Amino acid sequence: MFRYYLKLGVLSIRRNPVLSALMVAAIATGIGACMTIVNIDYVMSGNPIPHRSDVLYYVQVDSWDPYESAREPDGPPPQVTYRDGTALLAANKARRQVLSYRSSRVVQPEGATELPFYVESRSTTADFFPMFDTPFMFGGGWDALADDSQDYVVVINKEVNERLFAGENSVGRSILMNGDHYRITGVMDTWEPTPKFYDVNNGSFGEVEEVYFPFSISITKELGSNGNTNCWKPIDGNGFEALMNSECIWMQLWVELHGTQEKQDYLAFLDAYAESQKALGRFPRPINNRLSNVMEWMQIEEVVDDDVQVLLGLAVLFLVVCLLNTIGLLLAKIMRRSGDISLRRALGASRKAVFTQYIVEAGIIGLAGGLLGIGMTWLGLQGIKGLYGGFDFITQLVTMDWVMIFVAIGLALVSALGAALYPTWRACGIQPASQLNTL
Amino acid sequence: MLSMQNVSMVYRTETVETHALRDFSLEVDEGEFVSVTGPSGSGKTTFLNIAGLLEEFTSGSYQLDGKDTSSLGDTERSKLRNEKIGFIFQSFNLIPELDIFDNVDVPLRYRGFSAAERKERIDHVIDMIGLGSRKKHLPSQLSGGQQQRVAIARALAGEPRFLLADEPTGNLDSEMAESVMQLLEDINEKGTTIIMVTHEANLAERARRNILVRDGRICSGEPELHVAIGG
Amino acid sequence: MEIGPIWRALIRNKSSYVLIALQIAATMALMVNAISIIQERTRLMGRPSGVDEANIFQLYSMNFDPDIDYQAMVAEDLDAIRGFPGVANAVMTNSVPLRQGGWSQSLRIEPGEDDEGTGTAIYFVDEQGVDTFGVDLVAGRNFEPTEVMWFNPDGGRKWPESVILTRAMASELFPDVTPAEAVGKVAYIENNLPVTIIGVMDRMQAPWKSWTGVERSMLVPMKRGEEFARYVIRAEPGYRDELIPQIEKMLAERNTGRIIDGARTMTEIRERAYMEDSAMIKLLVFIVSLLTAITSLGIVGLASFSVARRTKQIGTRRALGATRPAILRYFLLENFLISSVGVITGAVLAVGLNMWMVQTFNLTPIAWYIIPAAMVTLWIVGQGAVYGPARRASLVSPATATRTV
Repeated sequence: MFRYYLKLGVLSIRRNPVLSALMVAAIATGIGACMTIVNIDYVMSGNPIPHRSDVLYYVQVDSWDPYESAREPDGPPPQVTYRDGTALLAANKARRQVLSYRSSRVVQPEGATELPFYVESRSTTADFFPMFDTPFMFGGGWDALADDSQDYVVVINKEVNERLFAGENSVGRSILMNGDHYRITGVMDTWEPTPKFYDVNNGSFGEVEEVYFPFSISITKELGSNGNTNCWKPIDGNGFEALMNSECIWMQLWVELHGTQEKQDYLAFLDAYAESQKALGRFPRPINNRLSNVMEWMQIEEVVDDDVQVLLGLAVLFLVVCLLNTIGLLLAKIMRRSGDISLRRALGASRKAVFTQYIVEAGIIGLAGGLLGIGMTWLGLQGIKGLYGGFDFITQLVTMDWVMIFVAIGLALVSALGAALYPTWRACGIQPASQLNTL
Repeated sequence: MLSMQNVSMVYRTETVETHALRDFSLEVDEGEFVSVTGPSGSGKTTFLNIAGLLEEFTSGSYQLDGKDTSSLGDTERSKLRNEKIGFIFQSFNLIPELDIFDNVDVPLRYRGFSAAERKERIDHVIDMIGLGSRKKHLPSQLSGGQQQRVAIARALAGEPRFLLADEPTGNLDSEMAESVMQLLEDINEKGTTIIMVTHEANLAERARRNILVRDGRICSGEPELHVAIGG
Repeated sequence: MEIGPIWRALIRNKSSYVLIALQIAATMALMVNAISIIQERTRLMGRPSGVDEANIFQLYSMNFDPDIDYQAMVAEDLDAIRGFPGVANAVMTNSVPLRQGGWSQSLRIEPGEDDEGTGTAIYFVDEQGVDTFGVDLVAGRNFEPTEVMWFNPDGGRKWPESVILTRAMASELFPDVTPAEAVGKVAYIENNLPVTIIGVMDRMQAPWKSWTGVERSMLVPMKRGEEFARYVIRAEPGYRDELIPQIEKMLAERNTGRIIDGARTMTEIRERAYMEDSAMIKLLVFIVSLLTAITSLGIVGLASFSVARRTKQIGTRRALGATRPAILRYFLLENFLISSVGVITGAVLAVGLNMWMVQTFNLTPIAWYIIPAAMVTLWIVGQGAVYGPARRASLVSPATATRTV
């Protein structure tokens, strides 16, 4: 029976090509608009590191101004001070921990031909690489020993490796940066966490750093942060040491904890630490420590643009209009076909049979609309890419994966079937033989 | 009151030329009840359309109430139809979404009467056909005979010069048909001219004068009964 | 006209008309809110930065040779740039308006830590800063060369003694005081350090375009840095684009222990800053246009169908005396009534939607006149869409009334 309805559906569509095409187009356009925005929203709110997002926690302690909270209405500051970061790191109370910040370097290629060039760098402790599971082409990160002894080690990315070593395995070789030689321990493969969760303070979407070297060396060289530095209290003194001692926040601390017990224990430790700082005259605000896992941190930092959400609401409205259009077209089609329907009823079709026939037809239209809608979505995403031209990170946002494709088809089917309900119900109401003499 | 001389109607397509009316001449005086009969395809519908100013004829002349209709534009023709002619159609042609009152109101709106005048006319004419209590009902809630009576009321509301009826009882059973014919006879008695187009001979007989049409021409006065019955 | 009967007829046969009315309502809701957002973004983007955007560009120097005498390098660079043909002026600074990254500090009117200060953006400049940026001084004076100091990391006064504020910052600190009166007043930086306002400039935006204090900026006569130097250069009109590669080359050749990079015009900086707003505007215009087109097509489709279904009725009306214009008017009026239901519902929807968005996303509430403007637009669109089918209706022959099939 189903195949019969399929056949009827296809025949009906062919008999009313313009009307059917309009219906498919209406659904496809609505789906296209909706799914373009849904896609962007989906990628923006996606989990950048699903296999580890539950065990990675961002650490916040409230070292801020007694008269004003760091974040409305009463959130702790989004980065840590040098004092707190290093103290918590030294206490070593988590399975793994990483303290890092964004810096910049100049790479000096050692051949006469290539000019020195600027790189975005990250000054970080060793656990960065295992904690964030960064992919490596060759080699790997360094170890805690290298951190402590301030070894001049470095991890470079694929592009820098291409530029300096023509893409060969350069582990063990050295590069010259700002007058010092660093030994390469690893070459990082393409890594595009979306969003760039480990440091959202400085742009949630963007490319990861090109060069990674030890935190300890960075501090010895008195390198400040290339990202945000915020101080609620004046720095006491002028030099870098003053910055290190100050209440300015400029670095990020992540820890790895497995299970609720470890998390509780660490929170308790943070509270104890805060108490100890209070005793020293710091931390004037009430104790307000936070441990947020990756997705929680993304939420707090409001990584998904407000604009995207507004557009999402408008896109849904758009889809609604397209569906209303479809309902109208379907209704018109059914009223035009009322002769056919009353004839079938006269010949013995039950209401259910009429209903099924037209629902199947709607399903075919929905499927066609969904497939075309995928094409429209792709067009829409390319359009968005064009609007934002030139920003590499946008490519990540405008790719459709299989989940999105299935959602598009599913949404199209559900919408088409939903839209068909009212007209089909009307179709069932047509009395047998009532329209016969006007055939 | 209605005067046609040598009216001809030719439909031309690319391949075929149809002479629907040939040399049709007719005079109808005030107060007459004339029936126009003939088999299907004889041209009586064409006559109806032309008499009712629904279509323009190819040649000849037609004066309605003294006024020549040949060179009238569409707006003037519409005005004439509106003021001078009351139509009664075979399938009643009531507007299904409007109630009785609004249906009768339709031609009056095009007339430009004030709201008060319209209401007075509509009430009067609906009461006259005996459906005064059902002004707010929809056509679907009335029987065929009642619907046709409403159509007659609609035709009368503007006090036309004559009624033009097209198979007025064609869609009615014999009982309803009888009541409608009775109504028409009453109206004619009161002085309204009626021209009725029909293919039923027994209906044609109730008119005072009968015109027989065949192949687009008027034939002699005697209706050919066996043809009419078969038609 | 025949509003009464048309309305009664619509009510009795609602289904297809309700659909059109709903489409119009949804289109209206979207249109109104989209226009509101477009208005707001356009307003944001139209704010002047206060600097000479047409002629300014920036670039930076990043040292990697630890032996470079940074301060000497900067002095020589500035001399060379300022002397370069086509350059009006140049200055070393930390940021420019709309760059989205920069420095800010708090200023107070009383020394101490208790109350909140007022945040302001900071631009480090020398006495050529005012001229280079092209800001207008409306009161007081510019810095003297003697007032410009180098930041000393080993100690000494952390901030210079004189500052120049924007009008907005001055009136935030000292309300109800004219710019001329603000000159000479003292404010406190880093809680206790007094600085004197020696001048007030008309406007200069902070680097952060979305900051509530975006009009609050302060020029500080100080130079600081150790490896990194950002130069802002104002070209003579028309010279900007050719100057950029020339200056880059000149600086790179002067000193090979550093790289010269990051050349960007103020125009580009503005574009980047407002890229999202600009994209949003374009997107919204596209969506509204597309939606209006779809609704329009929907009206055409349903009206055509509705006319085709009522051919006999139209013929009957014509027979009863309706002229062609009367039939046209009938369908235009019918559509007008449907559109009216749609736009009124849409207005309610639009306001509701806007209220929700104001609450959730902090959008600006709609200006009241957008609603009637959108209503009129949709009325016109509807009438335009129905005109074709209505005209076809008016051409239906009166003879249709007598046809039996």
